[in-house]
Amino acid sequence: MRYNRRYALGATLLALAFVAVACGSGGGTTGTTSPKGTLTVGVSGGFAENQIVAEMYAQVLEHAGYTVKRQLDIQNREASEPALKSGVIDLKPEYIGTLLLFVNPQASASADPAQEASALKPLLAATGITLLNYSQANDTNAFVVTKATADKYHLAKVSDLASVAGQLTLGGPPECPQRPFCIPGLKTTYGVTFGHFNPIGACDSATADALDAGAIDVALLCSTQSVISAKGWVALEDDKHLQKADNIAPVVRTSVDNAEINRLLNAVSAKLTTENILPLNKAVEIDHEDAAVVAKKFLQDNGLLS
Amino acid sequence: MTVTLSAEPFVRWSWVAGHLHDIRIHFVEHIELTVIAVAIGLVISLPLAVYSHRHRRAYPPVTFVTGLMYTVPSLALFAFLVPFTGLTTTTAEIGLVSYTLLILIRNVVAGLAGVPEDVKDAARGMGYTDRQLLWRVELPLAAPVIVAGIRIATVTTIGLVTVTALIGKGGLGYFILKGYRESFPTSTLIGGVLSVLLATLVDALLLFAQRVLTPWARASRVRAFA
Amino acid sequence: MHAMSEFLRWLTTSSHWSGPSGIPSRLLEHVQLSALAVGLSLAVALPVGLFIGHTRRGEFLAVSVGNLGRALPSFGILAIVFPFALRYLPGSIGFWPTFIALFLLGIPPVLTNTYVGIQNVDADTVEAARGMGMSGRQVLMLLEVPLAVPLIVAGLRTAAVQIVATATLGAVFGWGGLGRFIVDGFALRDNAQILGGAFLVAVLAILTEVGLGLLERALSPRLTSRERGRGRVRDELAFAPPGQ
Repeated sequence: MRYNRRYALGATLLALAFVAVACGSGGGTTGTTSPKGTLTVGVSGGFAENQIVAEMYAQVLEHAGYTVKRQLDIQNREASEPALKSGVIDLKPEYIGTLLLFVNPQASASADPAQEASALKPLLAATGITLLNYSQANDTNAFVVTKATADKYHLAKVSDLASVAGQLTLGGPPECPQRPFCIPGLKTTYGVTFGHFNPIGACDSATADALDAGAIDVALLCSTQSVISAKGWVALEDDKHLQKADNIAPVVRTSVDNAEINRLLNAVSAKLTTENILPLNKAVEIDHEDAAVVAKKFLQDNGLLS
Repeated sequence: MTVTLSAEPFVRWSWVAGHLHDIRIHFVEHIELTVIAVAIGLVISLPLAVYSHRHRRAYPPVTFVTGLMYTVPSLALFAFLVPFTGLTTTTAEIGLVSYTLLILIRNVVAGLAGVPEDVKDAARGMGYTDRQLLWRVELPLAAPVIVAGIRIATVTTIGLVTVTALIGKGGLGYFILKGYRESFPTSTLIGGVLSVLLATLVDALLLFAQRVLTPWARASRVRAFA
Repeated sequence: MHAMSEFLRWLTTSSHWSGPSGIPSRLLEHVQLSALAVGLSLAVALPVGLFIGHTRRGEFLAVSVGNLGRALPSFGILAIVFPFALRYLPGSIGFWPTFIALFLLGIPPVLTNTYVGIQNVDADTVEAARGMGMSGRQVLMLLEVPLAVPLIVAGLRTAAVQIVATATLGAVFGWGGLGRFIVDGFALRDNAQILGGAFLVAVLAILTEVGLGLLERALSPRLTSRERGRGRVRDELAFAPPGQ
C-alpha cells in the first residue's frame, strides 16, 4: 500500500506538470485573452455527432468574442460528467434522455423530450449545471436490419420481429442485456426475444460492420448514424415507443453561464433537427471530413455566424 | 458525396495530409506518456534495485511483487484502477509505470552485480564511502546494462500506450481506436505504423546510447526473453 | 472498502458461475483461444528458430522480428484485422482478429529464445560432436535442442503469459473470454464486475506463469552450485504462492 500511495502521488504530480505543459503549449488559439474570458468546450462522448455539435458551440462563442479551448476527445460520459462538474470543461452537448438516466438511474425517461427536460433540469441544477434549450435533433436508439433481412422477414416495425426473433442474432452495446431500452424492454414491451445476442459496441461502426457482413441480423444503432441511409438499411419503427427521446441540448456550468451564452447556444439548438444533422454526420463518419469544417459550414448556411 | 464504405481506400493520403497537426499532437502525447512512465519507473526502480543489491534477501519479494504487476493484463489493470483514479492520466501512468518496474529492477540489479569486486575493493581502498562508491563507480559501470533495461522498458511502454486510448488517453492509440470505431483503416494504420516506427527509432537510439556507454564491448548479444 | 465487498459478492454469486456467459464458459473460451495461439506460434517460430540457431543464417531476420514484435501494438492489429475478418473469415465475431493478434504476439519470444538457446551451446562441444561423426541433424536433435530446452520453454512461458493477458482485448472487439467481464463492466458502470474480471484474468496469467515455470525447471539440466545460486531467485519468484 505504501508503494502504491507513493507512486500514485508521484504520478499525479508529474501528470499535473505534464498537463500544465500541455496546456501551455497546446492548441492553435491565439495568445490574446479576450475581455469576455475563456471557455472550454467538451463533448459527452468521443463520437462524430457530438464533436460536430461541440464545434458549433465553440465557433459561435468564438465568433461572439470568447476565447475557446476544445476538449473533444473525451471518450464517454463517465469521463465528461466529472470533467464538467470539476470545471475541466465548461460546457458540452448532451443527449437529454441518456443524461437523465445517467444522473438518476431510477428516473423514467420518456418519448417526450419536454417531460425529460423538466425532470433533468433540477437534477443538474443541484450539481451546478444548467440545461439550456433542447434541439429538435433526436438521436435515439434504433433497431436496424439490412434491406435483404427486412424483405426476407417482412420487417418494418419492431413488433414485426416478434415471430422471427428467435432465429435471429442481435448485436449491440454490451449493456444491452441489462438496460430497459434493449433486451429487457424488447421482451416486456414487444414480446421479442432474440435467439442470440452478441455484445459489440455502442453506436460504433464495428456494430454496423458486423451487420453489413451478416455476422449479426439486427443491430442496435443510433438513429442518426449515417451508415443507415448510406447502406439503404431499414431502421425499424418503434411502434410501441420503447425508446426514450434523446434530443441534443447544451449543458453549461452555472458559474460561467450568462445571458449571452444562453442566447448563442439556444440559437444553435433552434436550428438543429434530426434531418439536417444526418448529412453532417455522414460528412464526418463516411467522408472523414473534419468536424470543425462541417460545423462551420452549417453555422454559415444557417446565419449563425453573421 | 457518393463514397460508400466498401469504396473506402486502405490509405486515404489526402486525409493524412490534412491532419498533420492532429497527428503531431498525438505523437507528442505518445512520447510524453512514455517518457513520464519510464522516468517514474526509473525513480522507483533505482532505489529498490540498489537496496535489493545490497540486501539480497529483499530481491525475491521485490521481483515477486513487480513480477505480479508485470503479469497483470493492461486492460485488467486499467479496469482495477478506474474505479479509484478515474479516466485520468494518473490511471494511465500508474499502469504504464507498473509495467516498467520488473524490467528496470532486474537490469539495474544485474548491472550492479556485474561490477567486479576488485574494482570496488580498489575504490574502497581509496577511501570512497558507500555513497561515493555507488555514484562514482558502481552505477557508471552498470550503466550499459541499465540502459539495456531502459531500452526494453521504453519499447514495451510505447506499445502499451496505445491501449490507454480505451481510457481516453492513448497518444497514437487515439487513431487506432478512431479507425476501429469509424471503420477507417487510414486512421488505424497511421496510429499503428507511427507507433511501431517510434518504437523502432527509440530502440535504435537507445542501442546507440548503450554502445556509446560501452565503447569496449563488441557487437551486443541478443538478449533472450526471461 | 465498499468496492472490495461488492467485488467479493460478484465473485461469489452463483448465477455468475453458470451459463454461456458465466465464468466457467468464459474461462474455457479464454484458455482455448490462448492455447490455440500459443500452439500456432510455437509451430511457426520453433522450426525457424532451430534453423537460424543451427545454421547461423538469417540472424538479422530473427533480431528484427524480436524487436519489431515488442513494438507491434496488439491493439492496432486487432483493429486492422477486425473489419476484414468479418467479411472474409468465418466464425464468431472477433475470433480471428483476436487469434491473429495473439499468434503474432507469441512469435518473437519463442523465436528469439530458440535461436539464442541453440547458439549458446558451447562451440567446442559442437565441434567435438561433429568430430565423433555426428551429422548436422544429429547435432541439432541430440545435442543442441536438449541443451536449449530450458531457454525455449522460458520463451514459451513468456509467450503464453503475454497471450493469456492480451486475450482480454478481444472483448473490446466483440469476442468472448474473460475480458468480456471487464468490457461489459465498463459499459454497465459495474465496478464489481470490472474488478472481478480483472482479478480472474490476473489469476489465470499468474497460474500460466507459475505452471510453465515449473515445467521449465523440470526440464532444466542440473545446475552447478554457482548457477544454482544465481537461479534461486527466479525459482523463488516462480514458486511463491500468488497473492502474498
